[in-house]
Amino acid sequence: MAIPTLDAFQVIADPSRRQILQLLSKDSLTINSLAENFEISRPAVSKHIKVLNDAGFISIQNIGRERYCILKQDGFKELQEWIDYFDGFWFSKLKKLEILLNKKANNK
Amino acid sequence: MQKEIKHQFTFSQSPEVVWEYLTKPELLAQWLMPNDFKPIVGHKFQLSAKPKLKFDFDGKIYCEVLEIVPYKRLVYSWKGGLSKENPSLNSIVIWTLTPNDNGTILTLEHKGFKGMKNYLAYIIMNKGWVKIGKRLFKQLNLG
Repeated sequence: MAIPTLDAFQVIADPSRRQILQLLSKDSLTINSLAENFEISRPAVSKHIKVLNDAGFISIQNIGRERYCILKQDGFKELQEWIDYFDGFWFSKLKKLEILLNKKANNK
Repeated sequence: MQKEIKHQFTFSQSPEVVWEYLTKPELLAQWLMPNDFKPIVGHKFQLSAKPKLKFDFDGKIYCEVLEIVPYKRLVYSWKGGLSKENPSLNSIVIWTLTPNDNGTILTLEHKGFKGMKNYLAYIIMNKGWVKIGKRLFKQLNLG
């Protein structure tokens, strides 16, 4: 099954994926032990894990014979970049508005 | 109340004048971007920002007017991202105008990024990613 590429916001928009992140924030877990926390099917959990992995929110590491999911910073950095992007966007736009309005005031 | 991106500016003009700059397409275009805005609830309009290819953001922003209180408050949705059908940025923009002496305090809030609020705080703090956390917290006022 093809999994579309999602950006950071889409990744965390899904409640199951947020729950996975929350579980992993306490401890690294195997895919099996993660799946035990969910009503949804094991393949569905695996799909969410793949999405999280692709987006840099987690990494999957083989430890012994088990595959562990470990929380990773990259995905969260991307969210930060988005927020910075719009924060900067609005600040520069409002500065422009300020210049416009100041000009208008001086022309009176 | 939780806020995300927030900026506040004070202008010497009255709310009526500032309001025109928020709602008249030709004035809006002078500082924000080219647009087909109409101050009618339910009116859909589109804005174009700089594309951010790294994030698959084509720069197109789809908006819908959600609330209008003339000279006081303007709210529109702000969606964009991968495509119109599948917007990843699902947020809202709120403008508030407050009379101040002879001028206006204009407040912009950009919030409601789906999924941000409740989970990130917890996760980031738990992992001790303090550097990211601190900035994000400050910007989102999650603390």
